[in-house]
Amino acid sequence: MALLRVSGEALGAGIDAQAVADGAGAEAGGALVAFATAAVERGPSLVSARAALREAVGDDALVEAAATVSVFEGLNRIADATGIQLDESLAADTAELRMTLGIDGYAVTEGKVNQAGGTERRAESVLGLFQ
Amino acid sequence: MDWTYGELDHAVAEGYGKVHARVWAGIGSCGTWWTGPQRVAIVAHVRGARNCELCQRRRSEVSPEALPGDHVGGNTQAELLSAGAIEAVHRITTDPGRLTRAFVQATCADIGEEAYVELAALVATAVAIDGFAEALGADLRALPQPGVGEPSCRRPDGMGDVGAFVSQAIDKRLANVSRAASLVPDTAALWQEVVSQHYSRGAEFAEAVWQRPLSRPQVEVVAATVSQLNQCFY
Repeated sequence: MALLRVSGEALGAGIDAQAVADGAGAEAGGALVAFATAAVERGPSLVSARAALREAVGDDALVEAAATVSVFEGLNRIADATGIQLDESLAADTAELRMTLGIDGYAVTEGKVNQAGGTERRAESVLGLFQ
Repeated sequence: MDWTYGELDHAVAEGYGKVHARVWAGIGSCGTWWTGPQRVAIVAHVRGARNCELCQRRRSEVSPEALPGDHVGGNTQAELLSAGAIEAVHRITTDPGRLTRAFVQATCADIGEEAYVELAALVATAVAIDGFAEALGADLRALPQPGVGEPSCRRPDGMGDVGAFVSQAIDKRLANVSRAASLVPDTAALWQEVVSQHYSRGAEFAEAVWQRPLSRPQVEVVAATVSQLNQCFY
């Protein structure tokens, strides 16, 4: 979500990173969230969600949405399977957001937040999040 | 031969088919810690785990450890993998948000730390490639062709404890997630190729504004949604 905030600020797009479930204010955000949710859940709603997103954003963007869903399905698994820590800058940048959204309460954080985890400090760039 | 996704009624940028075909073949090749047939068996279990009754029943338990049993849904290649390896494939595939340090350490003690990391990277790669097809309504491709050869079992230099569940490269160059599978660089390279094609696109990752069919905030909305559903802390 830190990347959502940083990229939204760069575009001046009025992005609300705390409102992802509603699309965060991104263009076609609701259709993107519905598609991503249906794809992860692999339910019957995927067909209609895919059609709705295609109608909203077009073929090439649908393909990119599918690519993003699927690679994050993999990224989530490699991150959880190897137990990587939050990068120090990422932990600092997201401290307030994690607390607000209850993300720190996910099943086992087990030291995944390093010493910087409780101190809010905003990154100025994409790469600045991962130092 | 490149994959075309020609069964769909719309075009798919050719970069996807090229990368998927190349990486899929690489998955079937002999690995550093698993043979080609074993790596194909891992992918078979990734697919089989979706319909595994034990995995489905565990999802409703307080802890997956509360419900012992045998996994089903692999194929005849299941005997190529130990019970511990099969358990790891199914857990990573179907219940990643509840993987614990204790589980990972026990699995590493059972099958070996490097073999576990190679297995995890293969699961992630297979999930991503199959997930792309599923999300678009395309057909899943046949399992990779198993290659021949014996694993070299060579551990790279420069690995150590950086706070993760497993050893990783001590040298931090980019995001921690980029070195998650650094213990098995050859298989990690396959995974990174998929990540680059689907999302990061090399140096473009550093740019806050992307010139793509979806804007970067749109991409990140999708990414955040998936990560929330999977309860991925990272």
